[in-house]
Amino acid sequence: MPESALQSAPGMVSARPDSIARLAPVQVSAWSTYRTLLRWQVAQIGGLLPFVVVVQALLAGGIIIGFGFLIPDIDSATARFLSTGAPTVLLLTIGLVLVPQGVARARTDGTFDYMRSLPLARPLLLAADVTVWLMVAVPSVAVGVVVARLRYDLTFAIDWPLLVTATLLVTIMATAVGYAIAVSMPPMLAQLVTQVLVFFVLLFSPITFPASQLPAWFLSVHDLLPVRAGADLLRAGLASDTFTASGRDLLVLALWCLLGLATSLRALVRRQ
Amino acid sequence: MIEENVLHVEDLTRRFGTVIANDNVSLKVRPGEVVGLLGHNGAGKTTLISQVVGLLRPDSGTIRVDGVDAVRHPAAARRHAALQPQGQAPIDGLTPRAAIEIACRIRGLTRRRSRAAAEELAAELDITQWLDQRALPQGGGLSGGIRRLTAFAMAVAAPTPLLVLDEPTNDVDASRRRRLWAAVRHRADEGAGVLLVTHNVAEAERIVDELVVLDRGRVVAAGSPARLRGTHDSALRLELQLPPEGGNPASDEHELPVTTVRRVLAGRRVLLTVPAGEAASAVAWATTLRDEDRIDGYSLTPVTLEDAYLSLTSIETDDLSEPAPSRKVSAHA
Repeated sequence: MPESALQSAPGMVSARPDSIARLAPVQVSAWSTYRTLLRWQVAQIGGLLPFVVVVQALLAGGIIIGFGFLIPDIDSATARFLSTGAPTVLLLTIGLVLVPQGVARARTDGTFDYMRSLPLARPLLLAADVTVWLMVAVPSVAVGVVVARLRYDLTFAIDWPLLVTATLLVTIMATAVGYAIAVSMPPMLAQLVTQVLVFFVLLFSPITFPASQLPAWFLSVHDLLPVRAGADLLRAGLASDTFTASGRDLLVLALWCLLGLATSLRALVRRQ
Repeated sequence: MIEENVLHVEDLTRRFGTVIANDNVSLKVRPGEVVGLLGHNGAGKTTLISQVVGLLRPDSGTIRVDGVDAVRHPAAARRHAALQPQGQAPIDGLTPRAAIEIACRIRGLTRRRSRAAAEELAAELDITQWLDQRALPQGGGLSGGIRRLTAFAMAVAAPTPLLVLDEPTNDVDASRRRRLWAAVRHRADEGAGVLLVTHNVAEAERIVDELVVLDRGRVVAAGSPARLRGTHDSALRLELQLPPEGGNPASDEHELPVTTVRRVLAGRRVLLTVPAGEAASAVAWATTLRDEDRIDGYSLTPVTLEDAYLSLTSIETDDLSEPAPSRKVSAHA
């Protein structure tokens, strides 16, 4: 019986609880933990950052310049439409491809469980992760704008508050949904699902073509999804003189953000 | 009532499908105590500690970490426990110094204290010369041993009531392994309770106060190393190396010319525990066996904990599987 057998052997250094100082854990502030975690995450992804920025620039160039080849004699209205859609594609691609890949790697190499074994509030873990992906993703908006200016001599009437809000919401939504997929499914399945989603975003979402080209029933599907809503908001933020977005778009995007964050958080908290 | 154990596991059961990974496991770790958890691969050691730190949920049973119900309140329990997992800690992109400081900060040490802790731990484990060398992805920058020592330092960086160390010496060289064992012992002497998972029975024996042996999910033995060795240091181990083919000359207990306290067949080795007084006849018998080419060789050494451990968990025991002593050794008590 283990219970009865667990007695100190005679002659062994006495280890009585009363003769030993009881150790007690310390409360740590959330802000301090968040900053420490951020330092950790940034260091882990550090070497990859320049590479990610280059890939973003290439993608942005691909969308803005490449789609221009598809359309001969592109007029400035079409060019403006393409260029203002490109940042959304970039942000969604990062959220739906890079984030699930990163999470899948963390799950296989033990990082995910290591972090979960630490005395850390789960929301802080998620917040630090989302912050790092924000750092990675946000420059892509600037990259898109710069490429568009160079290629088509476009000028943008930027609505800063709207642009910042839209960029944050689209990135957080894409990151949270990508994260949620990666933590809720087996890695292979998650990879498949995210590939399909990227395909859907690139070819079947009114980001790089006007919504009017889609059948009505498909448009009503997009009314419930965060893709068109996010694209329209970002577009309105970048070229406020040409495009507008609705409050409903904001609401749909915010709801998807919450859904993604809640699902991710649940997976972080859950014990198998 | 104040809970005096830093870890108290009772009747813990956890299944994966039809496999019972932990079967009614009970154990205690008191402050100041190093408890070694031994067992083969798949014995249920990692499953057990995953439940202690709240990564897995038990099917039944209780876990109390420093008085906190770890099944109901895993987040609260985690603040009282630090884990060095079997795999590497995620330190890519960091120097050991930064990694240890981060571990300190997460557990609430001040910036100044964290900086000092990194220096002290590096000196204690003799890794100062790598302290500012960055770990790179795919195992670059720092060797596996230095990474494991860093992971150990991260686990012990801040004083924590319960330390759970899963194979801390893997990949670590002999001289630093010795430092690591000393560091583990030191943490216990300062008041921490340590649950130490290891395969390294021989080395762990020197620093553990208690041992718990898991076999196929069950606790098959528990007690101090001396109690588990069970021979009061008066017995010897006769090891016979068998040829690739050919029978086991020790298969029938009654035909042996020596008294055997314990007999284990481990691969091509037969481990016999014999009373010290019969050393001469044991050697004579083994020499005869060798001359007859029935064995490749033999050795006679003092009994180690490893012998006891192997006999408790041996899968390949044939007709030799008798965990209890086959004859009384009361003469040596």
